[in-house]
Amino acid sequence: MNPSEGTIRVDGHDIVSEYRAARSLIGLVPQELTTDAFESVWNTVSFSRGLFGRSPDPAHIERVLKDLSLWDKRNNKVMTLSGGMKRRLLIAKALSHEPRILFLDEPTAGVDVELRQAMWNLVRRLKAEGVTIVLTTHYIDEAEEMADRVGVINKGELILVEDKASLVRKLGKKQLTLHLDHPLERVPEALAGYNLELVPGGADLVYTYDERGDRAGITALLQALPQAGVRFKDLQTRQTSLEDIFVTLVRRT
Amino acid sequence: MSGLNVHAIRAIYGFEMARTRRTLMQSIISPVISTALYFVVFGAAIGGRIPQVEGVSYGAFIVPGLIMLSLLTQSISNASFGIYFPKFVGTIYELLSAPVSYLEIVVSYVGAAATKSVILGLVILATAALIVPLRIEHPVWMVVFLLLTSITFSLFGFIIGIWADGFEKLQLIPLLIVTPLTFLGGSFYSIAMLPPFWQKVSLFNPVVYLVSGFRWSFFGLADVGVAVSLGMTCVFLAATLAVVAWIFRTGYRLRT
Repeated sequence: MNPSEGTIRVDGHDIVSEYRAARSLIGLVPQELTTDAFESVWNTVSFSRGLFGRSPDPAHIERVLKDLSLWDKRNNKVMTLSGGMKRRLLIAKALSHEPRILFLDEPTAGVDVELRQAMWNLVRRLKAEGVTIVLTTHYIDEAEEMADRVGVINKGELILVEDKASLVRKLGKKQLTLHLDHPLERVPEALAGYNLELVPGGADLVYTYDERGDRAGITALLQALPQAGVRFKDLQTRQTSLEDIFVTLVRRT
Repeated sequence: MSGLNVHAIRAIYGFEMARTRRTLMQSIISPVISTALYFVVFGAAIGGRIPQVEGVSYGAFIVPGLIMLSLLTQSISNASFGIYFPKFVGTIYELLSAPVSYLEIVVSYVGAAATKSVILGLVILATAALIVPLRIEHPVWMVVFLLLTSITFSLFGFIIGIWADGFEKLQLIPLLIVTPLTFLGGSFYSIAMLPPFWQKVSLFNPVVYLVSGFRWSFFGLADVGVAVSLGMTCVFLAATLAVVAWIFRTGYRLRT
């Protein structure tokens, strides 16, 4: 893609005029399993390191391959690897030149649970080592689990970038669900002042509140319930997930 | 990182040369066998009827043309495949996201393709020397023509590899244009053997200049002046360089 307007800087380096400095900081793992079929694992990872201007370092390549459980396959041709191994190989190639920023484009799309867990462990470790990770995913729970900052892209436009905790605080809600002793037909008049919603069937009463508010009003509600003749056998609270926030944001735009 | 990304050039060049080693049969042995067959068919069958061309045995006379034929087709094939394959399998993303300049990309891909062609040319020359008596009157100029032709047509192949969006297109120009031009460019005959009209038509064929110059370096025989041959070769080189520069300036078929 040819740049049209605007500028992008990577660690202060313009990606056009200082492309060498900018690109050498970045490792890219594409979504598609695009690898050379006939080359060996070792050679293809070493090739990536050279391409990014780094002198050969067999010890580093060995470490990367061992971290990604590819060491035993180092002499195998890429075409003989399974899909999961090819995914790990792409990560090994991206890490071969010791990047400070790693782009992971939907790395867990279509991978099994075990590999997914292994990848998140790797991401956590890289993050702990100070590598900035830009992860694109359709699985919001992954972003919720891993991210410090979250960006939301809708129809090709970045509609929000925010610290995950503050995003959840700002846009998140909490809900208290009361499982009633006896189903109700409607919310009693005495409780009209509370933000209550009767779940179809009348067995559950849901109270939505804003935890940022000075008063969540839970104590008052719990005191008002017996007075209104409502008794409950159990209760649970739930916080809005990042996925709920994502859906709300996307619908809003 | 500043200056030339030498590690990247070495990586791409090494990667391409490794592909040659993996495909030794296709890259080197197959063209050598084809050339040996040409010697048998043209040298033995036809050569028996054309004993000498301007004092040179017909078998020896066709050696420069045969080398040039292999050089042209293999330079184009190697370079076009080298850059087309990453596009085809998608690994081009890595090249385009790496801190590599366009110059470094061209130097490494074209350098590797040209190296293979030069090796192939020398192997065919050695094979020919075993079959027919050969002399090289101007060895330095022979090497100059060998290098210039390999580089020029590797650049041409690089352009085809960028332009092609399918294997059919990859073969289209070499099969429909380059091979006929080579056969009609005096590889197996001197254009002086043609009727006057076809001699003039042949002068529009760029391969005539390459074969003529290369043959001169062997036997001192030329269909056109050596300076003209050298000049035309340099013109082709400049033209391919200009197209490659345009491709990288615009991102044609790379970023679009």
